[in-house]
Amino acid sequence: MTMLAATRETGALARLGRSLLRNKMASFGAGIVLLMALSAVFAPWLSPHDPLEQDVLLRLAGPSAGYPLGNDSFGRDILSRILWGGRVSLYVSTVSVLIAIVLGGALGILSGYIGGLFDRVTMAAMDVLLSFPTLVMGLLVVAMLGPTVGNLILAITLTAIAPFARIARAPTLTIKERDFIEAGRALGFSNLRIMVVHILPNVVDEILVMASLWLATAIRTEASLSFIGLGVRPPTATWGGMIREGFENILDQPLLAVFPSVAILIVMFGLNMLGDGLRDTSDPKLRHE
Amino acid sequence: MNEKVENARVLEVEGLTTEFRIDGRWYPAVRDVSFSLVRNETLALVGESGCGKSITALSIMGLVPRANGRIAAGRVLLEGRDLVTLDESAMEKVRGSAISMIFQEPMTSLNPVLPIGFQVAEALRYHTKLSEPQARARALELLEQVKIPSAVRRFNDYPHQFSGGMRQRVMIAIALACSPKVILADEPTTALDVTIQAQVLALLAELKVETGLAMIFITHNLGVVASIADRVAVMYAGDIIEIAPVDALFQHPTHPYTEALLASIPRVDRDATDLRPIPGQVPPITAMPQGCRYAERCPLREPRCTASSPPLVALAGDPAHRARCWVRAGGEGRAI
Amino acid sequence: MSDAILEVEGLSKTYAARRGFMGGQIAMVRALSDVSFSVSAGEAFGLVGESGCGKSTAGRAVLRLIEADSGTVRFKGESIFDADAARLRRLRRQMQIVFQDPYSSLNPRRTIGQTLSEPMRVHGTGSAREISAVVREVLGEVGMPRGAAEKYPHEFSGGQRQRIGIARALVLRPELIIADEPVSALDVSIQAQILVLLRNLQQQRHLSFVFISHDLGVVRHFCRSVAVMYLGHIVERGPVPAIFDEPLHPYTRALRNASPVPDPAAKVTMAKLEGEVASALAPPSGCHFHPRCPHATDLCRRVYPPWVEVSKDRGVACHLYPAGSAATGESRETTP
Repeated sequence: MTMLAATRETGALARLGRSLLRNKMASFGAGIVLLMALSAVFAPWLSPHDPLEQDVLLRLAGPSAGYPLGNDSFGRDILSRILWGGRVSLYVSTVSVLIAIVLGGALGILSGYIGGLFDRVTMAAMDVLLSFPTLVMGLLVVAMLGPTVGNLILAITLTAIAPFARIARAPTLTIKERDFIEAGRALGFSNLRIMVVHILPNVVDEILVMASLWLATAIRTEASLSFIGLGVRPPTATWGGMIREGFENILDQPLLAVFPSVAILIVMFGLNMLGDGLRDTSDPKLRHE
Repeated sequence: MNEKVENARVLEVEGLTTEFRIDGRWYPAVRDVSFSLVRNETLALVGESGCGKSITALSIMGLVPRANGRIAAGRVLLEGRDLVTLDESAMEKVRGSAISMIFQEPMTSLNPVLPIGFQVAEALRYHTKLSEPQARARALELLEQVKIPSAVRRFNDYPHQFSGGMRQRVMIAIALACSPKVILADEPTTALDVTIQAQVLALLAELKVETGLAMIFITHNLGVVASIADRVAVMYAGDIIEIAPVDALFQHPTHPYTEALLASIPRVDRDATDLRPIPGQVPPITAMPQGCRYAERCPLREPRCTASSPPLVALAGDPAHRARCWVRAGGEGRAI
Repeated sequence: MSDAILEVEGLSKTYAARRGFMGGQIAMVRALSDVSFSVSAGEAFGLVGESGCGKSTAGRAVLRLIEADSGTVRFKGESIFDADAARLRRLRRQMQIVFQDPYSSLNPRRTIGQTLSEPMRVHGTGSAREISAVVREVLGEVGMPRGAAEKYPHEFSGGQRQRIGIARALVLRPELIIADEPVSALDVSIQAQILVLLRNLQQQRHLSFVFISHDLGVVRHFCRSVAVMYLGHIVERGPVPAIFDEPLHPYTRALRNASPVPDPAAKVTMAKLEGEVASALAPPSGCHFHPRCPHATDLCRRVYPPWVEVSKDRGVACHLYPAGSAATGESRETTP
C-alpha cells in the first residue's frame, strides 16, 4: 500500500518506536497489547486443550490443575477458549480498523485537499455515518445480512470510516496552506504526489493515535454483539459469547463471566494507554520548531 | 537634547540579570543590563532576535514567565521604588498605570469580543477612581488624542472593524490612559505597513512632546531607531554592547557589531554598494563563550577578547557614549 | 524587448470573498488590475508595495499557481496560460519560487536530501547518483555544511532554512526565480548574507528575478528596475536609482519618504499622507490613491489615470503626467 510506503519513507514507524520507548504509559500499553496479540496468534500452540472439546463431567468446574481457569457449562476449558476467543477479537478489530484507516484516511485527505463541493458532500456523508453508534450499526448490518465474521467487520468499518476521515481532514486543511505544498506545485508535482508524499506523512501521527483507540472500540463492539447473540455463532469461542454463557450461569459459577470480562478489560486498558501515550508524545514532537 | 531640561530620572535599571532554565540549568538571557531614562526621552533598545531586548522589557514589567524564568539580580527603580521587590498584587497596580506596555501584534493584543471604547475605559476603571461616565469621557478624549477618525462614532466598534494601524493607536490610547511615567513599546510598528508605521511613529513623537512621557522603544530596525530615538542601547547576546545619544551612535559607531550592522543594511537613499554581511551566528544561549560574546565573529579580535568579557566603558571624547569592547573602548577610554 | 525573458501583459484577478455574518454576502476583491511589466534576461526586477497591493498575487499568477482571470504571460516567448499540462510541467522547470517564511517552506517530515532530490526524480533528470551529486553541489552553492542532506528542517535556523529553500528552487536549473519577500522574515545580519548569496547566484547562473518586497532599501540594493503597486495596479515603473531618487507618482514618493533610513538626519517624513490604505474590497473611485494624495483633483476622483510612458523605461499612471509629458516627466504641479 502506498501508505505503508509513505510511512516507511518518512521513518514514521521508527519514530513511533522511539516515542514508545520514551513514554512509559505508551510502552506499558504496548506491552500489554503485544502480549495479548501474541497469545492470540499462538493460541493453537499455547492452549492446553481443544476449545471445542466438551466434558460433561467437568461442567461448571472451578479452576483445577489441568484447567487453570475452570470449565464452562459444556465442560470446555475456559483458558483455551479465552486464547482462541482472542483470535476472533484480534482478527475482527484489526481488519476493520485497517480498512477504515485506508478508506477513511484517503477520503479525509482528498476531501481536505480538494475542498469545495466535494468536501462538503463528503463531510455530510461522514456526518450521517457518525450519527450511528457502532453497536446500532452492527445490529442493522447483522440483522439484514446475517451474523458472519465478514458482516461484523463491515459494520465496524462503516462506523470507523467517518472518524478517521475527520481526523485526516483536519491537519490536511492546515498543511495544504503551508508554503512547501505550493513549492511542490511550482515544481510540477502532481496533486496525487502532493497528497501521498507530502500531506499523508504529516497526518499519519494523528491517525495512528486514533487507530489504537479504535481498536479498543472494535473489540468492545464485537464482544457486545456476540453477547447479544448477533456476533460470531457458537460453538466458536468469542469473548462476548463466553460472557453471555457466564451470564446465563452466573448463579452457579460466577467465574465463567469474570474471566472473559477481565480479558477484554486488559486489552482495552492496554490499547487506551497506548493511544494516550502516543498522543502525548506525538504532539510536542510535531511542534519542535 | 531635552536631557538637560528635565533631569529627573524616571526609570533606572541597574545590573539586571534575567535567567531561564533549560534542561535543568539556568542561563542568563539578559546579563547585567543597566540604563536610565528621564522624562521626555525615548531610549531605543535595538538588536536582533535573541539579543534579550524583549526579555528586558518583560523583566521591567515583572512579566517574565515564572515556570522557567527568573530575575536573578539587579534593581528596576521606578522613581526610586524597586519593582523587582514588589509582589504580584503590588505590581498589578503599577502595570498599566505607572508603566504601560505596547505590544507588536495589534491583532492579538486587543480583546476581539469587547468594543474598543470599553477596553480603553477599562484601564481607567481599574486603576483610577473615575466613575463610569467619567471613564468613558476620558476614553473618548484619548481616542481623539491618538487621532482615531470619527472617534465618537467608532467608540463602540470592535477591533476587527479597524485596520492594523488603527488598532495600534487604540493600544497606544490604552497605554496612555493612566498617564504613565514610562511606556515600553515592544516592536509596535514592525507588523505595520511602511506608510502606516510612519504615521504611528509621528503620533508617538507628538505624544511624547505633549505629555513628556519617557519611552523605551524596542526594535530591530535601525532606520526606525534613527527616526524616533534620543538615545540608543544596542544589545547582543544578552549584553548592552553600546549605548549613546542617537547622533553619536550613527556617526561614530564604536562597537564592531554596531559598525557591522550599519554596514549590512541596504538603504533606499543610497546607491547599491556591496553589503558586507556579518559572518557566523549568535552563539546559542546554552553555549555562550567565556570572553566577549561577539569575539568569534569580530574582525578586530585579539587574545584578550576571548579571555574575559569587557566592561561597558565611556569613550574619552564623550562620556554619554559607552561601548563594551576591549579594542575600541579598552578601559583606557580610547575613542576612535 | 527582444531579450525579455518574461513578458506580462494585462494581468487581472478578482476574488470572491465572503462577507457578513455567516458569510452571507459576496464581495469582489480586485487583487490585480491590468498589471503589465517585463523582465530582461539576467535582470532583477522588483515589485514593491504595501500589504494588499497585489504583488504576491502577481508573482503567483505568473507561475500559474493562481489562475488569473485575464492577461497573458510569456516566458521566452511561450505563453504560459495557453500551455497544456505537459508543456506547463516543462515550463515549470524553468521558473521557480522562493518563499518568505522559512518555517513553512520545508516539509518537516522529509530530510533536506529528500526535499532537494524529489524535483529531479519527478522530472527524471538523471540517475540516482547524478541526482545525489546535484544535491551536494547545490547545498554547497548556498553555503550549507556537508551532511546537511541527512538532517531534518527543524535542525536548522531560519537563515539556513531559507538557504535550503533557495537550493530547492535551483535544482532544476531554472532561468527565472520569483522571490516572494525572501528576506523579510530574517534578522538584519542574516538578510545581508542571503542577499549576497542571491546576488552571487544571479551572476554565476545568469538568473533573472522577480523580487517581491515591501522594503525599498532591499529592492534598491538588489534590483535594476522596479514597479510600484497600489491596490492591484502598477502606479509607476522605472529603473532603480531614478525611481527612488526622483519619484513621479505621489505614492512612490510617500513610500520612499516613509521608509526608515539609518540616519538621524533623515527622519521619516509623512507629509500629508493621512488615512488608511483603502481596502481592495471597495477601492475609491477614479485613481485609488486620491483620498491620500496631496495633489488630488476632481479629475483624480472621477477617472482612473491612463498609463503614460514618460520616457523609454519609465511609466506612470497619474493625472499629474498626462499623455505627452515626454522625457523629463514634467508635471502639472511644480511642487512635487
